[in-house]
Amino acid sequence: MSMDEVIEMLLKGKTAVVTGCSRGIGKAILERMAANGADVFAVVRRESPEFAEHCASLSTEHGVEIQTVYADFESEDEVTAAAKSILKTKRQIDILVNNIGIAFPQRMLAMTPMGAVKESFQVNVFSGLLFTQLISKSMMRVKQGSIVFLSSSAAFDGGSNIEYSAGKAAVLGVTRRLAVELGAFGIRVNAVAPGLTDTDMGRMTSEEVKTIALSRNIMKRLGQPEEIADAVVFLGSDLSRFMTGQVLRVDGGLL
Amino acid sequence: MTNLEKYNQAFVEALEISEDQLPGLEYQGIEQWDSVGHMGLVATLEDAFDIMMDTDDIIDFSSYEKGKEILSKSYEIEF
Repeated sequence: MSMDEVIEMLLKGKTAVVTGCSRGIGKAILERMAANGADVFAVVRRESPEFAEHCASLSTEHGVEIQTVYADFESEDEVTAAAKSILKTKRQIDILVNNIGIAFPQRMLAMTPMGAVKESFQVNVFSGLLFTQLISKSMMRVKQGSIVFLSSSAAFDGGSNIEYSAGKAAVLGVTRRLAVELGAFGIRVNAVAPGLTDTDMGRMTSEEVKTIALSRNIMKRLGQPEEIADAVVFLGSDLSRFMTGQVLRVDGGLL
Repeated sequence: MTNLEKYNQAFVEALEISEDQLPGLEYQGIEQWDSVGHMGLVATLEDAFDIMMDTDDIIDFSSYEKGKEILSKSYEIEF
């Protein structure tokens, strides 16, 4: 068996839940999960024929099952309903990827409405916590599982606006605390902190910020969504079975 | 098996205790019924009665007796 074949089978027989996977890093995570043999519950904000077609195509190509679940993560009721609809299937969930996130344009705190800060935290922190609280029950039953949160290099260097940098830093605290709490159930919790990535969200970054970010990046380029997704797949897989409470920085070597 | 027998069996299995310990049993009243044991008990009850307990009910589930009250009131399980 070639190394490529071994890598392609990393998640064979596993079931993953991935939030916010209709585009950007989330879409790449969905694709890499499917390519590695995982069945996936793809949680996205709204129904779209393009996304449905994409899921059907991935399903056929890789011989996996992809079920779409719809939820607006600004609404706790919708988050709860989405999680319950997944739990009702009684499928054992092996991997949860909390990818969903929103970002607003770069601006100073002095020019930031508090409503935007709350909205950002609702999606980037609170809803992910609520969703994890519910989905992790499936993992607790069987005393195994892997949860991956998407943080950001902004959590370390404040490279984005206040609500995004602070929210992604909160995700790191969540990751460490949950690793402690869920370790007793054999559940690992880790985070990936991407640097500036070539996505719609990454392209919202101002040229000034981009120039600064790239000047401090050893590899002098933006990350590609697939490069972040591969780190997520690694943390979701048994290859990382002795890792928990950790943050993988996938940022081209930010100094 | 009656609902009461299923309920008792869930405690016995999840917390590894004997049935005579159940009356008056409270959360954190014995070593096994800590937060980890609590979630195991919830999972066992959910399986036994084919229900999905809400977070507020999981938090309020503070004793053997209170659990019966919650299951009756919120999940229409008669004892």
